[in-house]
Amino acid sequence: MTKTRTRQIILHDPTLRDGQHAVRHQLDAAQLTAYATAADAAGVPVIEVGHGNGLGASSLQIGRARLDDRTMLTTVRAALTHSRLGVFMAPGWGTSTDLRTAVSLGADVVRIAAHCTEADITERHLGVVRELGAEAHGVLLMTHMASPDELAHQCARMVDFGAQAVGLLDSAGHYLPSDVQTRITALTQAVDVPVLFHGHNNLGLAVANSLAAVDAGATIIDATARGFGAGAGNTQLEVLAAVLERTGHPTGIDFRRLLEAADIAETHLMDTPPTIDSVSLVSGLAGVFSGFKKPVLAAARATGVDPVDLFFELGARQAVAGQEDLITEAAQHLHRTRQHTPKERTAPHA
Amino acid sequence: MSAQRTRVAILGAGLIGIDLIDKIQRSPYLDCALVAGRTRQTAGLRRAEQLGCATAPHGIRSVLEQAPFGLVFDASNATAGHWAYLEQATDTTLIDLTPARPGLAVVPTVNAQAAASCRHIGLVSCGGQAALPLLHALAALSAPTYIEVAATAASASAGPATRRNLDEYLATTSAAISTLTRVPEVKVLANLSPARPAPPFRVAMTLLADTRGLTAAHVVRTAERAAHEVRQFAPGYQLTSTTVGDGQITAAVEVTAASARLPRHAGNLDLINAAAVLLAEQHTRRHAKDTR
Repeated sequence: MTKTRTRQIILHDPTLRDGQHAVRHQLDAAQLTAYATAADAAGVPVIEVGHGNGLGASSLQIGRARLDDRTMLTTVRAALTHSRLGVFMAPGWGTSTDLRTAVSLGADVVRIAAHCTEADITERHLGVVRELGAEAHGVLLMTHMASPDELAHQCARMVDFGAQAVGLLDSAGHYLPSDVQTRITALTQAVDVPVLFHGHNNLGLAVANSLAAVDAGATIIDATARGFGAGAGNTQLEVLAAVLERTGHPTGIDFRRLLEAADIAETHLMDTPPTIDSVSLVSGLAGVFSGFKKPVLAAARATGVDPVDLFFELGARQAVAGQEDLITEAAQHLHRTRQHTPKERTAPHA
Repeated sequence: MSAQRTRVAILGAGLIGIDLIDKIQRSPYLDCALVAGRTRQTAGLRRAEQLGCATAPHGIRSVLEQAPFGLVFDASNATAGHWAYLEQATDTTLIDLTPARPGLAVVPTVNAQAAASCRHIGLVSCGGQAALPLLHALAALSAPTYIEVAATAASASAGPATRRNLDEYLATTSAAISTLTRVPEVKVLANLSPARPAPPFRVAMTLLADTRGLTAAHVVRTAERAAHEVRQFAPGYQLTSTTVGDGQITAAVEVTAASARLPRHAGNLDLINAAAVLLAEQHTRRHAKDTR
């Protein structure tokens, strides 16, 4: 694989999917249309939409979305003229039926996701995506929990199952640039399809990690407007576009219009842009799924425990995305044990 | 106790088949007379031989050749049903643990009596085996409008058949929950956890219902009673939390394997196998009574 500095990078934009975590999956149709129209005008190659955990994931467990999958897809599809429409689905949360519906509504790029060591659950669904004629990506979640060799092996399996691009989500925002470098290098050596990376900013390293991924050979990078996303937010799209410009990687995006889209995201989608607050920082340090932030704050408030303690407890339990049921139980556990070791700390009010 | 144990055969010598051998060998009512795999060379069949079982390499053909059996356990990965062959050629009863889960969907503490006159007993999935005892009891208490179940199994406890058939797992589990609780709207989510050491099988349940007039003590008592019944045959089954209020009841259980043949985290396999053997014993005892 060529590693020249002029390699074209495809920016994949899950603002309207991962951003849902920041607003408890409550984006409405007008918000989707406003951002999708602006991002399309800027020439963003892929715009991903959905519930924060993807197709089929709207639930009491993970959070119920304001709009159903069908409405979200139809709305964004109607706003796009050039950009391709992306969706995300993890087997166990969504099913083949959800994939068929999504592709029939115009999804062009379909991400099939599994936790870091579980690639074999994607076999069936990658096959379905290929059969439907959409572009199939295989992605691994919570990837800091597995070794570079293991991740490379899992990605190679997804290529065998039909994935046309594979890569890693730093779901907890736990990586340092050197971690990314090692892992993406292992992937590019193991597969001959494009490699992708999706960062989170809990340790303030999302852009640096994305650049490390590009340097190691990744050609598809996920990033969201203003970093709108779970926890401390994602890699900030407009910043990454500027950084890639400076490092000589064309993205094909109209930068001025991308700035306009980012402004629209800020005014239309969020109360405030994501920041690395204390809780998000701890979440990244503890290696817990960034999407847990809102439910962790709610459980901490309800039980009167410190959300920082709760994130460390969830990290110790190695809770993974989809296990939101552990949050309340861990909070109750801390509440009970705290009765014996009183600590003068109160939960912040969000 | 009857001196004669019922001759049973097992189709499939994977993780489930081997643990079934162990449970059947401990049963005073059942005699593991044959373990049939697909080829002679599998490690599973060699293990079955070491455990003292007769084995055969030709799957359903071997079972038909060596019939009659009082019961056959299907722990194979077959998606093409073995039931059609058995129904035609024998008068045996099939206890079905295959991924497609055909047959009458049964959870022992919920609807075992429905299995009495049935020759094709299907085990509801491990997630359903863990959730339904509680859901059935809590639904009777609260008349819910919606039920949601989130099951998390350790990576190492989910075999290739489960992994390939997650869509079916969700569909059959939610259908069984809907049928046995009579709640039309049910959603099931499944996670495989990469955590190490591997965590026990965990199932969290939420019911939306009118909770006015329900006390926490009443809900806990109901859930504990249901869990206690399951522990009679699956000792690793534990209620870890219950909550009630604001139109919502939640409960969570964790299941560890008590079997000598299974790692501790494989509570999902232990539970479904224990349920299968319990149903087999009940069937055998009923049959003995009928023919006496």
